[in-house]
This record gives sequence, structure tokens and C-alpha cells, in this order.
Amino acid sequence: MRNVLLAGVGGQGTVLAAKVLAQAAQEKGWQVRTAETIGMAQRGGNVVSHVRMGDGGEEVLAPLLAHGTADLVVAFEPAEAARVVPFLAPGGTLVTATTALQPVTAALSKTPYRAAAVVARLQEQLADAATFVAVDDAALCAQAGSRKVLNTLLLASALKTGCLPLDVDDLRRAISSCVKPRFVDLNLAAIDAVAAR
Amino acid sequence: MTKKLLMGNEAFAHAALEAGVRVVAGYPGTPSSELIETVAKLHASGAARGVHVEWSTNEKAALELLAGASYAGARCLFTCKQVGLNVASDPLMSLNYVGVKGGLVLFVADDPGPISSQTEQDTRRFAAFAKMPVLDPSTPDEGFAMMKEAFDLSERYHTPVIVRPTTRINHASTFFDVADATDARSVPPEGFERDPKWIIFPRRAYEAHGEINERLRAIACDFAAEPALAAFNPIFDAGKGPKETEKACAASAPALGGSLAGDSKKQTSVSRETFDDGNGNACTPLRGIVAGGVSAAYAREALRMLEQRAAEQGSELPAYRFWQVGTPYPFPEKTAARFTEGLDEVLVVEELDHVLEDELLRFAGRTHAAFAVRGKLTGDARDRGENDVDDLAARIARFLDIAEKQTDVSRETSSPESPSAPATAPASTPLSYDAPADDPLPVRPPVLCAGCPHRGSFYAVKRALGKAPAVLCGDIGCYTLGNAKPLDAVDTCLCMGAGITMAQGFAVAEPGKKHVAFVGDSTFFASGLPGIVNAVYNGHDVTVCVLDNATTAMTGSQPHPGTGVTLMGPKRTPVSIERVLQAVGFECIVHADPLDLDASVAASAEALAFEGPSAILFESPCVQLVRPGAPAAVDADACTGCKKCITEIGCPGIGFDGDARGPKSKERGQAFVDASLCNGCGLCTQVCPFGALGVPPAGQLADADAAENPAAVSHETEAPAEGGPHA
Repeated sequence: MRNVLLAGVGGQGTVLAAKVLAQAAQEKGWQVRTAETIGMAQRGGNVVSHVRMGDGGEEVLAPLLAHGTADLVVAFEPAEAARVVPFLAPGGTLVTATTALQPVTAALSKTPYRAAAVVARLQEQLADAATFVAVDDAALCAQAGSRKVLNTLLLASALKTGCLPLDVDDLRRAISSCVKPRFVDLNLAAIDAVAAR
Repeated sequence: MTKKLLMGNEAFAHAALEAGVRVVAGYPGTPSSELIETVAKLHASGAARGVHVEWSTNEKAALELLAGASYAGARCLFTCKQVGLNVASDPLMSLNYVGVKGGLVLFVADDPGPISSQTEQDTRRFAAFAKMPVLDPSTPDEGFAMMKEAFDLSERYHTPVIVRPTTRINHASTFFDVADATDARSVPPEGFERDPKWIIFPRRAYEAHGEINERLRAIACDFAAEPALAAFNPIFDAGKGPKETEKACAASAPALGGSLAGDSKKQTSVSRETFDDGNGNACTPLRGIVAGGVSAAYAREALRMLEQRAAEQGSELPAYRFWQVGTPYPFPEKTAARFTEGLDEVLVVEELDHVLEDELLRFAGRTHAAFAVRGKLTGDARDRGENDVDDLAARIARFLDIAEKQTDVSRETSSPESPSAPATAPASTPLSYDAPADDPLPVRPPVLCAGCPHRGSFYAVKRALGKAPAVLCGDIGCYTLGNAKPLDAVDTCLCMGAGITMAQGFAVAEPGKKHVAFVGDSTFFASGLPGIVNAVYNGHDVTVCVLDNATTAMTGSQPHPGTGVTLMGPKRTPVSIERVLQAVGFECIVHADPLDLDASVAASAEALAFEGPSAILFESPCVQLVRPGAPAAVDADACTGCKKCITEIGCPGIGFDGDARGPKSKERGQAFVDASLCNGCGLCTQVCPFGALGVPPAGQLADADAAENPAAVSHETEAPAEGGPHA
């Protein structure tokens, strides 16, 4: 059984990322379940998508992950990465974007939100317990010419580490069958950019 | 047939179409909305032939429309969220007495948590109150099968049938084999047949009550014995004792039920093999676990986890019996008898109310049974909110008397019999992020979107009110989020349409204040109209602010009467809110563009000053519907770092950079615009007292700018999965 948690802010594209992973798993012949946060939280609140794949032929029962069972956590924003660390399995992989989305509450508060400090602290605290990958999403999105590829390049960065029995080519195939035709090339280029790094 | 990754709600739409549903109607509400949207999409693509699908004005209208279609013999599907059934309860209660002809299924989505709802009400209770059967899926796959069975059941007994999934079923996805095209079952040639039974009179109701009691008894028997239905109530034995083969079977017992469930002959011997542990030793489970809905999936996952941990320590779980109840009402007592035979203790895990727990207690009482029932009432299960695998693993471990306790079970349980137990050591310490006390993680509650026109409406009304004492009545929709700081513009929120009438109550009780009601366009039509009429009829001095964004935004942008857009294709003449207000007798009706601050404040002042019912129509489309303009930008030379743009309107597109420096801001830092969120609505430029925020004039948005601004390619060009509903 492989478990993946995708964490981000409403509107960032976690739902599509979960769909792409599900498609990749299906193409391997595994049973797969995903679960989304849909509703009020999508209005700029923190959202998560759960993806569970029976890569060993297991039946997937519950749609949601238990704590400490995520082989992979993909975070679309540093504070959201920190928020879901309890889901990460010991020895698992956490991949996070480094660009912050500042919530209104932080702008209103006296203590500013400094994302770089969160990233540094994550790196330090997870050092011995998990694999930590900070993705320079700002540079990669700029290279792609759109922030719409954030989900694809985070998935590519994650699969590149070998943390799941899925590779970047599996991702390419899944993208081609999940994403609207006119966006496929944009996303494939983003995967190439990650693969080349 | 095609294999597709479908969300539960999408799959249920396919199931209903494959069952030949002819008329589908409902009102949007998370987590139910995607079902009707899916039917509409399949109808539009030509795959769903012969179906009529619509968003009705509200749930009551939808159910009454379906009652008519069903009397004529059409298979009908009603959809709503749990509180939507409250709105439809008037027709529902009588409809069960009258009975139906064409199968009528009510798809009612409950929302444990609650995640996007006002209450944690339990539709299984509603089913019992209305005296009609309810099916409760544990997975989307099972819900797919239940949806099909529900139509047959409805027609067999002429009863409406409720299918009640919960959020984690509605919004979970998996792969389904679905038909490429479907045909709605035709209305029988005789159609509607006149008969006194269609007219509900007291004497007929008395007779019908007896028929209902009779059919509930018969349906309870079907739930225990009729193979297709009994399959929703699987029982299996596991733990120490069963042979290896049975353990494997237990670990992978399909959610649709094992062989035991459908076998009515073995009502007293649960599983012959169970009584033999493989070495010829008798080994009967003494403890049973009963689970309903998604909790059945969590419980089985938790048991699998505990089994694995036990195996790692070279031991096994003690013998236990498991029963998933997929048909909670009418309660299948014959299945309960088989399940409880020989048990000393039963743990019930379910979300929302203690429905199964009550049924088992009643059953135990009537049969003078010796088994104890544990659950919400005894503090052995969470008394509210969602269940999850972690929590159930800990509770089941305690129930099965396993020494190792995995996690803290004290959370969210407030039963007096459950003193908050200290967290016991988990199997392995979960990872955590330790934030320093002086740098906590920012909280991220949901907010009105960047550029949302509601922001300007709330801000203008507050500006117009100034220091005048006022009560601001909110309502159900995105605009409930107007309560958040800094807008802080919602004092009440009760239920759909309540703001308009509550304001009238405040006006009676506290005539010295201003009484303002905020209502969305869809809510206005759904349940605001009676309140509007009441304001005129009884002469209440209230100001109704209609936040007209030309859609039902919170639930994912569904059309409504004010848009004229229908799910069947043809566009109708939009129903005009202004003309409705005029016709009803509102004498002061003003219009305002909420993105034009000065004009909005002036319009608000005029309406607020009017004595008697007045209305402000704030008209500007939802940002999810329009192509965004060029983002605003901060002039670093002009920004003083006063934060007024943030503290006045709280737009998520504006942040504050404490490290930014400029000639006017000195060491204070400066505001910045997140170009990926800003859509250039321009409200902030009218709030900044120093002219430090600006939006490039329309037409100046060159291609280069569009490329720089990712938001400029968002929305209409949105990636597929995000194109779906948003709330």
C-alpha cells in the first residue's frame, strides 16, 4: 500500500494532482482511492487530497490516510507542509514548494509569516527522520511561463526521488490522459525542466 | 462500458442513469451538488438519453415536482444536502403516506464534521421520523450498487427511499465501469391514473399509516434476507481462531458483503467454520464491532493495522465478529440476531447520531439479551465530528483489550463516562513540526476570494452606517465569510433566507437600530421571497442587500432563476430581482456596483435612510466566472506602510512585507500585491489614502503583462479537475 498526501491552499491545484496520481496508479493496475477537500475551505483555506494505492494488490478500504502513513507528502506551500507533517511516515519523503501564500490573518497579525524560516526548520527537524526536498517553484514556474504547472512540477520533483514505484515517465503518460489537450505540452515541458535539473 | 475515475457523486449519477432515472431535480449544497451537474453534463453530451434534469428553486420545489412525475410513473431522483431535506420535509412527510408509483430515490448527503454545513443532523434519523427506508454506503462503490437497488425497492413497496452518503463518500474518487450511454425508462403507457389515494385526507392518512407500518416490517426482513439487499449488511469473523483462509477472507471481505450476509438459512449459525480454530478447538468470538457508513471502512482499516502490529509482535488479535450495517432503517433485526449470538460486548462506530447504537440497545432490551453495547452513549466513541482510522484503531484496541494502545482517544469526546484518558504511547512516535512560540504557523481560515465583489458590498454598507448602531444579518453562501476580520460585517447566520426575516425581528425588538440583511441571489429565490413579502405586509423597517453575483457561488457556480440558464439547454428570460421587489411593494430600490466604492456608499446611505423596507442591489459577477484583469501593483515610492489596504478590506491578494523599504514607509515595511491571486478589481486602489495602489487602465494589458500574470490565464483556461465545483 502506498499513501500520498497533497497539501495546499484552495485553488492551487491539489485536486488535479491527486487525479494524475490516481491515473498513474490505475495504469499500473492498482486499486486506488482519492479523497478531496471540497467546500468552504476551497475559498483560500488549507486543503488536502489523500491518494491511496494498493501497489501490492491490496484492497484499499478507507479514503483517508492515518497519521504516520504517508510515503509521500507533496506540499504546495511551506506552512501547509509543516501543518501535515504528522501524516508523514518515518522514512517518508516530503516535497514542498518554497513560495509562500500569505493568509490575510498573517497580514493582519503582528507576527509576520516568514516562509523561509519554516522551510529551514522543516529541513532541520526532518533531517534524520525523512527525505526532505524543497522545490524552487518560483524559478520553475517562471521557466514554464505559468504558475498553473505548479502541481505537475511538484509531482515530477517528488517522483524523481524514487519514493514511489512510479517514475517520471508514468507521470508523463498520466498527464496526457488527465489534462486538457491544449495544456498537455505546457505540463510535459514542466516535467522536462524538473527532470533536467 | 468505460473505466473512469469518478468522484462518488459522479458515480451515483451514472448509477441512477443506468437504473433508468427519468427526472432529476434538486438544489445545490455541499457535499451533494456534483450529482446533478454530472447528469446535466451527460445529458448535454448526448450520453444520457431521455432524462430531464434541473436545479429547482429550492428543495421543496424539487421534491414536489418529482412527486408529480413519480405519480405518472417516471423514475425520479431528488438531491440535496442534509439541511436541504429540512426544506423539503413538508412534501416528504406526506409523500410517504400517499406513496409513489415510479421509483423515487432521495439522495441526501450528510456532512460529519461538519465540513461545510450548519448542523451535524443525521438523515438516518430523518428516515426513521418519516418512516421510510435508508441505505448508508461505506464506499463509493457500494453507494453505486445501492443507488440501483434503491429504485427497485422504491417501486416494490411504493415508498420513497433515501440513499445517504456522507462527505467522505461523496468526495472520494475511484475507478468505475460505467455505461457509455443510458436511456431513461419510459413512463408507463397508462401514465397517471386518477385515484382517491393521491389525495391526502385524514382518513386516508390513518389507513396509509397502517400500510407504512406493514411495509417497514417487510423491508426490515428484506434487508436481512433478500440477497441483493442483505449484501449491504455483511458479517464476518476474524482474529484468533479462524483458519488461515478465513483470515484472508476477513482482511479482504468485499464491502459489498460476504457470502454470509445473503444466506438467510444460516440465521443462527454465524459461520460454521468460525467455531473451529483449525485445530478442532471451539473458539467463538465474544466481542463484536458494528459499523455504519464510512466508519465501516475506517474500522476495517484500523483492524488491518492492529492485525499487522500484532503479527509483528508474533501474536494475533483476539477473535471478534464484524458487522457493517448498510441498511440502518428499518433495522434488520434478523441480521442483528445472527450477529449478536454468543457475543458479550458490542462496540458501535458510526458518525453523527447514535442510530445503530440505539437500535442495538432496543434489540437487546426486547430480547433480554446479555450483551453490552458500547459507543457514543458510553463514551467509547466520539460523540460528534468525523471518525478516522487513528481514533478507531485506538478505541478498537482498547475494546479488544490489546495491551498496546496506539493513540490518544480522548479527543473530541465529552461523555461524562469518558474521563479524558492521557495519551498512551503510540506504536511509533509520529513525526511533528515544532513551531517556536514566537513564530507559530499562520492559521488559514477560508476567506472571500481576492477580487470578490461581496467585499466591496460589505465595506460600503459599513462605511455608510458609520457609527450608527446596526445589526447585520447574514445568510447562507460565500458571503457568510463576510464575518471574518477585518470586514466583520455579519452578526448572524441561521439558515437559508433567515437573514431577511430575522432583521424584521430585530427591528421589532430594537427599533432604534438599523437592520440590514445580506442575501445572495440564489438564496433570495430559494427561500428569501416569503421574508420579502412579510417585510412589506407587516411594514418592517429593514434594508435588504442583495449580493447579486449572477451565480450560486459557494457550491460551485450553479445557475439559478435570476440567470435564466437551465441545465436542459435553452436559456429562459432571467427572473428579475428588481421587478420582484417592485411587484411586492418595495418603494426604495437602489443599484450599486460594489467595485465602485463611492457610488456604493452613496447608494447604501440612501437605502439605509429610507423608512420602511428598502433594498440595495449590489450587482457584479463572481470572480470565478469572469476573466481577470491586470493585477494591481504597489508604488514603492508612495506606500507608507500604513496597512490600511489590509486592515480595511482584508483581501487575500494583498500581503505585507516587513522587509520592504521605500521613501515614505521608512522601517515600517510595505504592502505587496500577489499577482497570482489579484484579478484587478480595483477596490484597494479606492481605499488607499496615498494613491499607492494602482491598476493599469483597461486596454493597457499588453500580452507581455498577461504572460507575467499567471492569473490572467486562470479560470476559463483552468485545468480540468479544478474546473469543477468549488464548494
